Amino acid sequence: MIYFRGCVIREKLNNISEATEIILQRADVDYITLKDENCCGSFLLRTGFHDDAVEVMTKTLDKIGNDKILTSCAGCYRTLKYDYSNILDANLDVTHTSQFFGSLIAEGKLELKKVSEKVTYHDPCHLGRHCREYDAPRNILNKTADLVEMDRNKEKSRCCGAGGGVKSAFSDITEEISKMRIDDAKITGANIIASACPFCILNLENACRGCLKILDLSEIILMGFKDE
Amino acid sequence: MNKSKLKTMRESFHILEERRNNLMEYEATKKLMDRVKKIRENSISNLDNLIKTAKTNFETNGIDFIFAEDSKKALSEIYKLVKDETVVAKSKSNTIFEIGLTTFLEDKEIEVVETDMGDRIVQLDPESRAPSHPIGPASHLNVEDIAQIVSEKFIVEIEPDPHAIIKVIKTDIINELSHCKIGITGANSIAAEDGSIILVHNEGNISLLSMQDLHIVVVGIDKLVRTIEDAISVVKLETIFATGTTVPAYMNVISSPSKTADIEQVLIEDMYGAKKVVVIMIDNGRSEASKKCRECLLCIGCGSCVVSCPVYNAVGYDFGYRGYLGGRGIALSRFIENEKTCFEGGLFFCTLCGLCTLDCPVEVPTNEMIEKLREDSVKSGFFHKKHYDIVKKIKKTGQPF
Repeated sequence: MIYFRGCVIREKLNNISEATEIILQRADVDYITLKDENCCGSFLLRTGFHDDAVEVMTKTLDKIGNDKILTSCAGCYRTLKYDYSNILDANLDVTHTSQFFGSLIAEGKLELKKVSEKVTYHDPCHLGRHCREYDAPRNILNKTADLVEMDRNKEKSRCCGAGGGVKSAFSDITEEISKMRIDDAKITGANIIASACPFCILNLENACRGCLKILDLSEIILMGFKDE
Repeated sequence: MNKSKLKTMRESFHILEERRNNLMEYEATKKLMDRVKKIRENSISNLDNLIKTAKTNFETNGIDFIFAEDSKKALSEIYKLVKDETVVAKSKSNTIFEIGLTTFLEDKEIEVVETDMGDRIVQLDPESRAPSHPIGPASHLNVEDIAQIVSEKFIVEIEPDPHAIIKVIKTDIINELSHCKIGITGANSIAAEDGSIILVHNEGNISLLSMQDLHIVVVGIDKLVRTIEDAISVVKLETIFATGTTVPAYMNVISSPSKTADIEQVLIEDMYGAKKVVVIMIDNGRSEASKKCRECLLCIGCGSCVVSCPVYNAVGYDFGYRGYLGGRGIALSRFIENEKTCFEGGLFFCTLCGLCTLDCPVEVPTNEMIEKLREDSVKSGFFHKKHYDIVKKIKKTGQPF
């Protein structure tokens, strides 16, 4: 199995891959990471650069071959699972970390510890509405922390504002939306926003500037390990 | 849109959203959604036939039918009908806004009286570039803003009280209407097989307009459905999603000029209502849209999408084209106008989050339409330099930063 970290984790949020790898090793999972991991193509598809996307995706497909793929990124997950199938006719066996951690727990390979932290969960659009995965992250959070929902949750979740190339071209729009999302989270009384997309996490961190902790699911699991 | 207007708009939208969400859970609403989805699918798959059917049945019913392939033709046909007047009255209509009728007629020194309260307020405000919601056009203005706008226009001191404001505007509109002989409206739905126009309103202004000597109806081909029953389903669902109430105050069904056959069953026209009804049915790019982006014609015009849209909540009507607001409006602008207009109106503002589709009564897949239109836009050279630079970087280094 390839652990496909995605560009945001590789370049900006190593803490997520570090936490994820600690969990994988603890559960004795056999996996590799690619030294020359390439872009999944999501950004290019969403911003209309279709031909360039196909070029990049074809190269990436060559590198991942027929291996199972695990990814921490909701954007990579949606792209690898649906766009590779629609555009390149490649039906990849892709799992998101939220789902994989869930199956490790079910198989008894991973035991979670609950920490006394009030956590709210931000549904990434790419994992939630686009792939309809709402329960896997919540199952983990219910076992690891005190999960409190925002009013706008699951399919009604508010976008963090960064997707579709908006953050790179219109950062003021993104900032305005992220502020609304952070306000949604603050009302719950949670100290932590957990999410399952490094792109959302990076964006919410930029907008929040330390007002709340913004963490990946893997980092929440790791907090439980450290309490042991 | 400035910060204070955005704040007011979000508060209005929040109230609307709660009312709408309550009704969305009803079994009756869900059944109506299924029914309307089928009606709209059927309509956009049979546009050519529906246009022919509508023409035949309107003419049989004594309603003049004019087909306008573009806004230029629509404007010239309307001008022929109104050229002898100094003043005409209209209701709020995105189609009328789309063809730029008010500006066109005012350039020809024909005054156009807006009879919809919200739209009238928006038009009086020099700062408001467009309505902020298709059914609640003044959602971005609070009572203090409106009192000030109306005070400045009428040069009187008006208290920030809804009753006081409405009284002033209403008196003015009724006075203006007394000089009018022509009423111009849009239509919420058109029943082709019955030759009927279905109009929905709360204020009663459309009833007044339809009682003028000449009633002109300006409507896009995307409003066609088969029957009155279908049309009523569409407008009922539109009302639920637009206002969070189950029925509007008025649903007018107009199928001919006013008439009587009370004396020996001989048909005599010209009773209390319009002497003449003219339907101007416009294409203006919709046929092209039906081939290249057909789902954008499923829309029933309720505005639920902009209430949900995170980007619209952040920037307001700056994300849209004229009265066609948010992502779906931008998609339609590609066909009503061109790729440049679509690009400038915010083709790249959408985060592709998909919430609008979930809150849409007919599930218009806006994020998918936008993604496809972006692909075409980039091929035509309309893209953002920042995106292009990132694309180059990704291709070279495998990452965007």
